[in-house]
Amino acid sequence: MRARAVALATLASVSIVGIGWQLGSSAIEASQSLTASSGGTATAAAASAAQAAAQSGTFTGAVVPTQYGNMQVSVTIANGAITEVTPLQLTNRGGRSAGISNQAAPILRSEVLTAQSAKVHNVSGATYTSEGYLRSLQSALDTAGF
Amino acid sequence: MAIVGGDYERMPARTCATMGTVVSLRLGGSAADVDSAAVEVVESVFRRWDEQFSLYREDSELSRIARGDIRLTEASQSLRSCYALALDWRERTRGVFTPHRADGVIDLSGVVKALAIAEAGTVLTARSPANWSINAGGDVLVGGNAGHPEWVVAIVDPGNRSEVIANVPLGYPLRAVATSGSAERGEHIWTPRDGEPSPFRQVSVFAADIVTADVLATAIVAGGESTLSEMTERFAIDVLAVLRDGQLLATPGLRRTA
Repeated sequence: MRARAVALATLASVSIVGIGWQLGSSAIEASQSLTASSGGTATAAAASAAQAAAQSGTFTGAVVPTQYGNMQVSVTIANGAITEVTPLQLTNRGGRSAGISNQAAPILRSEVLTAQSAKVHNVSGATYTSEGYLRSLQSALDTAGF
Repeated sequence: MAIVGGDYERMPARTCATMGTVVSLRLGGSAADVDSAAVEVVESVFRRWDEQFSLYREDSELSRIARGDIRLTEASQSLRSCYALALDWRERTRGVFTPHRADGVIDLSGVVKALAIAEAGTVLTARSPANWSINAGGDVLVGGNAGHPEWVVAIVDPGNRSEVIANVPLGYPLRAVATSGSAERGEHIWTPRDGEPSPFRQVSVFAADIVTADVLATAIVAGGESTLSEMTERFAIDVLAVLRDGQLLATPGLRRTA
């Protein structure tokens, strides 16, 4: 039973490392924390990994807190090979949802968020040069503000 | 949606020219005026970054590295940290953002302005609890804590630069916005993979910090729609993108709630 638990932890590490290149530094942090948690049993884990390799099925990893939020993946194993890694939870920093729900989609101009107050303080456009500034809305705002 | 002549809040701004652009500084709250000391502090932060990293200054540390006068390993700790940060962003964007010019010269201009804005913001917060906003060439960072009345930033319409597409409230946690595109300086960003022009005329990225906003706005213009999808999945950002035909793409956070 213990061997199985360790093997699962190893698989979870492998799966998170596997998607590390997709998710960037936050996933790397996650893999580090998982590795650390099983640090004392590295040899046992390596020994039992081969034993676990014959297993098949879908395994769900633990929820790993990272500085960017929680992360959790499931991994599907068939005949000892990882066939699929599915992110169940991606990081969610600052209360904005990450993941498929945050995809940019076509939107009408009338549907774009507008501040409740119509008071504008700054203008953002493609970078303006010192010369371009004089023709920019920001210049108008700055001038009108005094 | 016109902005000039509209109902905007009268709020004093002070400006200074630096890094080839103009920085506008505003203090909100009860501070009636932007005091000169605050302007000088912000100016000195930008000047220091510019003196160290500008490739337009022959005597900058980065220019000396570009000429081979000094080796990277002999460079200052701050320069090497800045380079390391830019390389991190190259990884995170899968090489779409890069600190290397085509001729191999290290060019850190893609992060230096944002780093200067971030440092100026830190200094302003330390000096005074008053709310502030810094706008450097269209890259905007605002101070203030959760619950403070929002700062509103207008996103320019690249098809008609006297109009705006949206007035978006900036505030905790997304305190920064940067806009990148081809509207002001010609086709200055191109797709690195196939050399095709970007599908986007303009991309605005809202993020918790100005470096993330600035780098990802550049990367999405350069990388096109695949980079847009990937970055919105991986980072806590909102994006408003203008396609070549003027159509808009936006993340759910920028949608008007019914």
